[in-house]
Parts: sequence; C-alpha cells; structure tokens
Amino acid sequence: MEYSLSFPRDRRTIVVIGSSTGGARTLEVVFSQFPLVDAAVILVQHMPHSMNSALCRHIEEISFMDVRVPEDGEEIEHGKIYVAPSDVHLKLVENRKICLFNDEKVQYVRPSIDVAMMSLERRGSDRFAGVILSGMGSDGAEGISHIKSIGGTTFAQALRTCAIHYMPRAAFATGRVDQMLPPEGIRENIIRFAGIL
Amino acid sequence: MAEESSRRIMVVDDDVFILEVMEELLEPEGIGVVAAESGDACIAELTGGFRGVILMDIMMPHKDGWETIQEMIDRDLMGGNVIVMLTAKDVPDAELECLKEQVIDYITKPFEPDEIVALVKGYLNYLP
Repeated sequence: MEYSLSFPRDRRTIVVIGSSTGGARTLEVVFSQFPLVDAAVILVQHMPHSMNSALCRHIEEISFMDVRVPEDGEEIEHGKIYVAPSDVHLKLVENRKICLFNDEKVQYVRPSIDVAMMSLERRGSDRFAGVILSGMGSDGAEGISHIKSIGGTTFAQALRTCAIHYMPRAAFATGRVDQMLPPEGIRENIIRFAGIL
Repeated sequence: MAEESSRRIMVVDDDVFILEVMEELLEPEGIGVVAAESGDACIAELTGGFRGVILMDIMMPHKDGWETIQEMIDRDLMGGNVIVMLTAKDVPDAELECLKEQVIDYITKPFEPDEIVALVKGYLNYLP
C-alpha cells in the first residue's frame, strides 16, 4: 500500500517584509536575536544601493538567520533572509525562484514591495505572511491585500511606533491587515507563524 | 559593528545651537561630529572625502536638505553615506516621496537626546 504525506516536502513558508523610511529602526528590533525560523524571509527595504551589503551584514550579526542579497534565478530556502537589491525589482516565480528584473519604478521606488508581494501565488500548501513597516507613500498596500486574498497572514506596524506612518496606514486602509503590532509584536508573530527550524 | 575610523558623523544644519548640542551628545560616546552649517559646506566635506552617517536638516536657507541631496546624486557623492533627515514638521511633504529611497530615516525636532544617540549608533552599523 502506498502512503502519501499530508505535507508535501517542498512546501514553502514565505514571509515578505516591506520597509521604507524609518523601517530600519524597526528591523533592528524585529531581527535582534531572531532565531533560525522555518521560512524564507524576503526583505524589501527602500535604501541606497551602497547600503545593501551593510544591511545584510548587520542583520546577520544580530540574528541567527543566513542573510544575503540574492542572485537572479536563485531558489529560496528556509532559514534565510533575502534582501532585495536596490535599483531592480524582485519577484518570486512559482513561489520558488527569485527573479530580479529591470522595469519602471512603481510609486517612485525600485524595488517595489507591491511587486514582490503580488508575485506570490496560491500553490499547493505554501504559506505566506506579509508585513508592512514604517515608510512614506503607500507601497505594499496592494501587496498586503493580495497576500490576504491568497490565504496569507498580514501584519503592519502600529502607527504610533512608526517614524513615518503612511505605508502602514495605507495597508490598514485596505481592510486586509490582520493585526497592527509594535515591532516586538511583529517579531513574535513572525516567529510563531514560521516556527523554529 | 562599525570600525573606529567610521565612528564619525556629519551634522548639516544652519542652526549652530543644534550643531553644538550634537557634539555634546555624541562626542562623549566616542562619535566624532563634523559640523556643516549649510548644504554647500556639506558638499565640500563630501568632496573632501567624508563618508558616513549624515544628519541633514531639511529647512536651510539658500540650499535646503532636499536640494543638497539632489546635488549629491548629481555629483555622485551618495555612495557610502547613510542619510537621516532632521525636520521640524511631524511628517515630511508627500511630494518629496521621489527621494525617499535616498533617506533611511527622519527625526522630528525637538528630539530626545537618548533617541539621537541610539539612532546614530544604530546607523553607524549600516555603513559599507
């Protein structure tokens, strides 16, 4: 008799975090002593190109995750944080492979949080969470709504804790944010959602 | 952690009082402060080789903070710097969103001394 596993071995758990102006302060709290979790984390932080490597290095220093700027075509793995490089958009192909591509800026930015989040698709038993942190504008609002529509879990930073509250406010206004949380709460909920590896 | 050589920041503000306060707050923490009283002075420091954390006032006469950043972009002086804006307003003008990729954070004046010290120490870790 043949048996099949209820959880396909290649199931992915993907957390996409969108962050902009003032979000780096929040990332410091979220990733401080952050354990090795059973998820691939995609971090889209609006920043100058010259900060990409330093941001990776610093998050790797304060967390237990592997942190890297991904290559085009790279397959995502759990236990890793992928920092979207500046000046190109990042999307996931079939929730598995990272695609970096040049295109027009979306809402003044590249990489766009919306582009990354909107690329996730309902597929097998893959699980998703979307998180919006401090920032100007409304990047990520459409993406959060999409993640909710495909069965994901959504968080945004509590407005009173933001350096700039426009992005979390825009996400909240979609009505598709499950919880508005302070940085410590976002950290706890990502860990709980992903589980420890 | 940032190396000792990079534990230096530039404060760009036409208010000399702010420059003095920053020195009083940061130098006891081992962080050297380069004071620039205008956007032009900031550009001169960058041309002279300064790279590091820059606390930039938005409202300055002749050349404001945004114009200074635009000149940094035009003259290829952005690389290696982490820019935090100082503003007297609660939130920045939405129409300046187009430069948001260049600015990592905002501090609203009046600021808490502890907040400034923690923020500067944190962003020294983000230097290349």
